[in-house]
Amino acid sequence: MATEPLLTLEHVSVSAGGRKLVDNVSFELPRGKLIALIGPNGAGKTTLLRAILGLMKHEGRVQINGRIGYVPQRLQYDRTLPMNVMEFMALTLQKRPVAFGVASRVKRRVLELLDAVGAKKLARAHLGGLSGGELQRVMLASALQDQPELLLLDEPAAGVDIEGEATFNDLITQQVREHNATAVLVSHDLSVVSDLTDQVVCLNQSLKCIGDAKDLLTAERIAEVFGGHKAVYGHHHHH
Amino acid sequence: MFDVIANYFTNDWQLPILLSVVCVSIASGVLSPIVISSRMAFFSDAVAHSTLAGVALGLLLGLGNPVITMVLMGVMVALIIASLRQFTTLALDTLLGVAMAGSLAAGFLLYEYQKGYADLHSYLFGQPSLLGWMDFWMVAFNAAISLLVIMLFSNRFLLLAVSRPLAQARRIPVARYEFLLIVLLGLVVSLSVRAVGLLMVNALLIVPAAASRNVARSVRGMFIGSIVVAVVSGLTGLFAGDFLGLAPAPAIVVTAVICFIVSQVLRPFVGHHVAEA
Repeated sequence: MATEPLLTLEHVSVSAGGRKLVDNVSFELPRGKLIALIGPNGAGKTTLLRAILGLMKHEGRVQINGRIGYVPQRLQYDRTLPMNVMEFMALTLQKRPVAFGVASRVKRRVLELLDAVGAKKLARAHLGGLSGGELQRVMLASALQDQPELLLLDEPAAGVDIEGEATFNDLITQQVREHNATAVLVSHDLSVVSDLTDQVVCLNQSLKCIGDAKDLLTAERIAEVFGGHKAVYGHHHHH
Repeated sequence: MFDVIANYFTNDWQLPILLSVVCVSIASGVLSPIVISSRMAFFSDAVAHSTLAGVALGLLLGLGNPVITMVLMGVMVALIIASLRQFTTLALDTLLGVAMAGSLAAGFLLYEYQKGYADLHSYLFGQPSLLGWMDFWMVAFNAAISLLVIMLFSNRFLLLAVSRPLAQARRIPVARYEFLLIVLLGLVVSLSVRAVGLLMVNALLIVPAAASRNVARSVRGMFIGSIVVAVVSGLTGLFAGDFLGLAPAPAIVVTAVICFIVSQVLRPFVGHHVAEA
């Protein structure tokens, strides 16, 4: 059904150690949109993502009507592990142990995925030698392997220079427009919001605002959000 | 030297020794990349040290061959450490240190009480020359299980080693795989103790992949290199030890460490580039 929302959250709360990290959040996201989920550090954005991904115990209901892809926040990993990008991608694409080599069918698929994010030349590169921007492209290519309808990107701007960030955002926008996917870009600053953003969701434990980017992103609003978190607390836009 | 090697193929009693060393080498060579990548080195060492308590327990129960209690103790200590890790705020190295020292000391006391120092040496440093066909079948089982687990699960173990959160997001039951790896290591370590000794077994799980990681540029290269280092060290150590009249297991470990040093020297020339970040 085309009208059915892609993602529905109903009264989602997450607690840890007696503290509410996410408090009674409800919203719906449609298909084919570029969404910015913003909130200050510690606002529970990553926690909410993890609840959506089913990795965290939560109250309330999360319903996803589609496949999901996830690009984690700046990945900390063992950079000394001798693994090339092709092998990393193949880990989740083939049953045969990557230690025995990558199947030619999988090689073609990996090159296709890397090509889609403009990183075909990285196929033979060592995973531990990638720059921040390159790693993100690889993670995006990896997240695209199941042709996700909902793409969750945690702090995609972290560790990427401005120029790299612009092209990365273009890549995501392209995915959204070409495959009718919805991408959620999560960030603690407004840098993820571009003129291509369709909808903005503000989170600080509870939902602080949600709406069209055009309406929410007036000069005054931007000043409020950049000016301090108090302004963000003050707005309750339940729908 | 050639006579020494030829004897292993012609003497009936030496053949199981040769084959056992090959099997132990294959098992450790195959698992080594996973042990190193998953940072389980200290863990497998703790399991190895606990096997002496298993031996002593077997003697106490009057078992002629205490292999069963040894393996049970190894796997049990592995499980205890794995579950304690969930419920304690202690750092893992602290927990392992306590488990290792505690089980070795208790095992030694129990052993000494029954047998004094007799045969203790062979449990600590291994005694390949005592291995028979029964021992061979055990380590062959060991090698088979290790190969099977690598065939079935190595992709997941590797993804877990790259990043736990990423593996979780891919819906991989992370805890279940960690548990599996722990039980497997407990089993493999305890089954290898008779051949290479509890003080030496862990070196065989660490050194091969430590060496191959230095020079490999891919996962495939890391596994191939690790198996090659393990088997070459196993055979070289066995033959050279025999030829020179030295204890085989320490000779195997020393050979492996020499491979590691060579790989460390070669690293700047053939290894991969690692980003600073």
